[in-house]
Amino acid sequence: MRYSATLLDHFLNPRNAGLMRDPDGTGMDEYEGCGDLARFFLRVRDGRVAEVRFQTYGCGPTIAAASAASERVAGRTVEELLSLKPQEVEDAVDGLPDDRKHAADVVAGALRAAALDALGRHQGEVG
Amino acid sequence: MSRRVYLDHNASTPVHPEVVAEMLPYFGERFGNPSSVHGFGREARAGVDTARERVARFLGAAPDEVVFTSGGTESDNMALKGIAYARGRGHFITSKIEHHAVLRAAQWLEAQGFAVTYVGVDAHGMVDPDEVERALRPDTIGISIMHANSEIGTIQPIAAIGRLARERGIPFHVDAVQTFGKLEFDVDAVGIDLLSFSSHKIYGPKGVAGLYIRKGTKMVSVQHGGEHERRRRAGTENVPGIVGFGKAVEIRGRDMKEEHTRLTALRDRLWDGIRARVPGVRLNGHPTERLPGTANLGYRGVESESIVLGLDLKGIGVSAGSACTSGSVEPSYVLVAMGVPLDWAMGAVRHSLGRSTTAEDIDYVVESVEPIVRKLRAVMPVGAA
Repeated sequence: MRYSATLLDHFLNPRNAGLMRDPDGTGMDEYEGCGDLARFFLRVRDGRVAEVRFQTYGCGPTIAAASAASERVAGRTVEELLSLKPQEVEDAVDGLPDDRKHAADVVAGALRAAALDALGRHQGEVG
Repeated sequence: MSRRVYLDHNASTPVHPEVVAEMLPYFGERFGNPSSVHGFGREARAGVDTARERVARFLGAAPDEVVFTSGGTESDNMALKGIAYARGRGHFITSKIEHHAVLRAAQWLEAQGFAVTYVGVDAHGMVDPDEVERALRPDTIGISIMHANSEIGTIQPIAAIGRLARERGIPFHVDAVQTFGKLEFDVDAVGIDLLSFSSHKIYGPKGVAGLYIRKGTKMVSVQHGGEHERRRRAGTENVPGIVGFGKAVEIRGRDMKEEHTRLTALRDRLWDGIRARVPGVRLNGHPTERLPGTANLGYRGVESESIVLGLDLKGIGVSAGSACTSGSVEPSYVLVAMGVPLDWAMGAVRHSLGRSTTAEDIDYVVESVEPIVRKLRAVMPVGAA
């Protein structure tokens, strides 16, 4: 099998999949030239990620990467999330084959976008 | 993983045990070169001759009209380039849903100065003979239309197209890699001048195939060397492969009819079972004029590779209609030519059944598909594709 046991577990049993009512931040990323996309929804409390939900469209690794990343980022500050690297997402599924690296790119990109959106909304409220 | 179900017979098939038994002596004591005049060579030659006779009988052809090649791709290339270079210039007609072996050979010929018309297909993937007729030009030198497409299984009206070609004396090539040994046909009755057919789709070994060339068809060789295959295809024959291919053809002659009925019923059981359980699924391909073991199903809004992975984890081997690679994801060009909407085309999964497939296998696949598609839809935004 070309995928890790962790990846297959997240693919078969995605955590935190689905929509979120009234999120504090949403973000989406799409892999250029490829139909794969990920969309994340964040609930933020005291500047930290309290709840994460996601939707993805794509191959198995993209679904798994989104699920694993959703667990890993819970509890982090929104600022930390702004610098989330694809490598960390890849590590969360114990590696990706070369031709599936984009799964980590699209998931990291969507989470960063969601964090930026949450931060913008918060600053809007403060201002 | 306990159960394993292989539903990818259009990709390849396991070698039939009787075929293996027939081949084995040709790896050992009958190892000779068929071109050698001594006894060792004559033994090998006899094996090749028997295989050629078996294939010819199956096709309704003469043995010297059969050329053995290394694969369907070589057969297709030999047919198109052989016709083209025997004439030097001119126009070809083929379809948009041919195998890449034909499409890319045709594109290469275009680059060499030949003209090519690619006719379209209808929503069921069927070529319209009237469109082929309209595409004819005074300088048309060849028509190449496949018998059945590997992805969707739609069977083309090759008899009608063959008539058009024969009336005008235009060589007619048929890529029959997916139908040879599965459907009954006679090259004379259908008006075929060149026919590509392959071994590993019909429980023979890989690396061997054939091209039927009607006597009198003006061709040139595209592979030069020795005097093999009546100087039409140079290179020492793959003797064990050819012997196995001949045996596989003989077995198909014996089993084909019964298998056709059985697989058609199983194919329909699969489609009926899945559509009763899974919403948003469609059959891609002709409802009736279709290969007996082929069912291409499209799941709306789900990416096909994730379904293939989900089924793989259940021990089921099927193939995806679209492939997501690092650079791009393309829906199947066949489904695009049929006008299948993108959100359906991206979720296309091909199931191709074969001699080992049982009703229990089909029921297992039907039961396995529903939760996989339901779970995938739960994480996928509606209409994302």
